[in-house]
Amino acid sequence: MAPLAKVGEWAPQLGLVAGFLIGIGFGWALEMGGLGNSRKLAAQFYFKDLTVFKVMFTAIIVAELMMLGAGALGIMDLSLVFLNPTFMVPMVIGGLVMGVGFIAGGW
Amino acid sequence: MSSNVPKRYVNPYISGLILGLILFTAFFVMGRGLGASGAMMKTSATAIHMVAPDVTEQSDYLGKYLGTGGLLGDWLFLELLGVAIGSVLSAAIGRRLKWQVLRGPRIGVAARLLLALLGGGLFGFGARLARGCTSGLALSGGATLALGSMVGMMAIFVGAYSMAWFLRKEWN
Repeated sequence: MAPLAKVGEWAPQLGLVAGFLIGIGFGWALEMGGLGNSRKLAAQFYFKDLTVFKVMFTAIIVAELMMLGAGALGIMDLSLVFLNPTFMVPMVIGGLVMGVGFIAGGW
Repeated sequence: MSSNVPKRYVNPYISGLILGLILFTAFFVMGRGLGASGAMMKTSATAIHMVAPDVTEQSDYLGKYLGTGGLLGDWLFLELLGVAIGSVLSAAIGRRLKWQVLRGPRIGVAARLLLALLGGGLFGFGARLARGCTSGLALSGGATLALGSMVGMMAIFVGAYSMAWFLRKEWN
């Protein structure tokens, strides 16, 4: 039953190893698609290269559908999954500031 | 074919599919998504703590980022360490590892780096305000359909698209 670390009461060290391995996969998946390249990231905002949109939204949809599927099959308790709480005004302002920083900094 | 020609990036939908599988794995194993800015924040809090321990511990804001087990006992920090290693491995295998400052043809290195510093500062500030960055807020929150994450993600794109024209010489 998943989430494994929450249901199975994992030793913290096991979670840390999992985090490290998941991080390697995360970095690998981003770089192989070109998201380690700031010119490619910036090109998104001149409508020259929509890689960022394609990678991000494919990933979001895949993870979302797999979670829904795992929940429906009863192998994952979705109520134990962390949900970002909503703080509307700071998230809008923070998002806008991040966007400006994104195009200025290239990430 | 020469052996030092960089390999092309993979198809973005393939990269997105793999990223989605990794993101799902994070949720399936740990019950949480991926993050980046939170780990930077913990690193900053730990660094500030070395210089000014009392102030950091007494601060409501910085104090809660200190944690108990140090940085190497922190899930998010180890995940971000993995990100750095994974991306370097991927770049090395793709023969894309190169010491360079990526920029458009109409901007110098110093100006590009100054803008990178300013942009990084703004991005970090915005990420703490919104409780997450493109990874923690947009990607992970998006996959769990969190309302604030969806709005925050749109705000990031609005912010970047609205400033793109002013910074066109940096990239084009």
